Amino acid sequence: MVIPEDLLYTKDHEWGRREDTSLRVGISDYAQSELGDIVFVELEKMGTRVRPGEKIGTVESVKAVSEIFSPVSGAIIEVNDSLEQSPEMINTDCYGDAWMVLIAMDDPTETAHLMGAQAYRDYLEAEAK
Amino acid sequence: MKTPLYAEHQKLKARIVDFHGWDMPVWYSGIKQEHLATRSGAGLFDVSHMGEIRVQGKESVPFLDRILTRSIPDIQQGKVRYGFALNETGGIIDDLTIYCVRSGVEYLLCVNASNTAEVFSWMEQHNREGAELSDISSETALLALQGPQADTILSRVLEIDKWDHHPFTFTRYDSRAFGKLMVSQTGYTGAGGIEIFMDPHSVVPLWNALISLGAAPCGLGARDTLRLEMGYPLHGNDIDSTITPFEAGLGFAVDMKKADFLGKNALETVLSGGLTRRLTGLEMLEKGVPRHGCPCLKDDQQVGYVSSGSISPILDIGIALCYLENSVREGEEITVSIRERRCRARVKTPPFVAGTV
Repeated sequence: MVIPEDLLYTKDHEWGRREDTSLRVGISDYAQSELGDIVFVELEKMGTRVRPGEKIGTVESVKAVSEIFSPVSGAIIEVNDSLEQSPEMINTDCYGDAWMVLIAMDDPTETAHLMGAQAYRDYLEAEAK
Repeated sequence: MKTPLYAEHQKLKARIVDFHGWDMPVWYSGIKQEHLATRSGAGLFDVSHMGEIRVQGKESVPFLDRILTRSIPDIQQGKVRYGFALNETGGIIDDLTIYCVRSGVEYLLCVNASNTAEVFSWMEQHNREGAELSDISSETALLALQGPQADTILSRVLEIDKWDHHPFTFTRYDSRAFGKLMVSQTGYTGAGGIEIFMDPHSVVPLWNALISLGAAPCGLGARDTLRLEMGYPLHGNDIDSTITPFEAGLGFAVDMKKADFLGKNALETVLSGGLTRRLTGLEMLEKGVPRHGCPCLKDDQQVGYVSSGSISPILDIGIALCYLENSVREGEEITVSIRERRCRARVKTPPFVAGTV
């Protein structure tokens, strides 16, 4: 299970990467491996305002549908449209090319609520028990 | 509940899901990969959760003939037939396969895992002929080896020249290494191949021997997409106790010429009134994966619903089985509402890909 040290994580298995006052968001290696072959991605539109826990997209594998939630409050200022054409990228490069949205944060200190890599690793281990 | 292969699934790092009380592998390497392996080579499925009910004694034939939709005397020894147990309204309690093990005196029914207990008690309740019934599910392991390479792999494992049998027949084979096997030329994938009923104590070595010769372990996920590409119905999704075989397009497995069977009167009434809906298929014309329960619309009016759907790994588009009103024709374009989004689809009678038993 790949858990990059420089990212932040949610209990719903999204990751976030601080880019100045914005947060780039995707789903973790654990999330993609649990979902299996991803066949469909639908993301919220550019400009959509979101709060923590609100939907930023839907990811569908052969077997299941899963919603992706925003880790923070803000506005979606970039959407990775290439995922609609190549949803399988999430299985192969979930921390890289398969990012989902970039959110301009209302309050950049909000990321303090998210888990670091070690905390997320501990959380996954606790969940597995 | 766990099948005798549970520890093997864990070793292979399968994703395990709860399937009607059974801890079953949903995939090992990935649903798409397993699906394609089955279509092009051989896939190996643990389907030991399926139920097996043995019916014995000279009362077997009159009993089964009266409760099931197929003509039992017409099934010769060594043959398998697909049929139904129906309720008093003609609805499908279960779809099952009927094996004539010894003509006139011994039959085996293979029933859906989720329905085993219900079917067995339904049979006991209707058994006025006094046939000998036993639920042998827990003493029976079942493997499905499916795909164009299945026969070759099996003959190599059993060290015989060639495994050559016809669809819907089965053979009892006493193998030195794996004990007594009942090998049936049947399946639920449309990829061709066999199903093997056997003693649970010998199933682990056979499972591993088949894998070592190239069979890819496959989970219930691939089993579902494979059967969906063929348009084979899944009980609980596409057929259930409120749906008759005729609505589901499965009239071939109902022998209306028989003097009587449970549900026959109800079916006659249904047929004389005319069918108002039918099971057919959809191919998506745009991105989107139709799922059980999605409404089907034509000119903004609901004309049916999706009973099961997924993506076709072969076609790489969304496909579905659905119930549609008779007014909707083959080839017509309709829409499917997927999470409030209207997606275009074309009505297409399955199979979606060419297959073989």
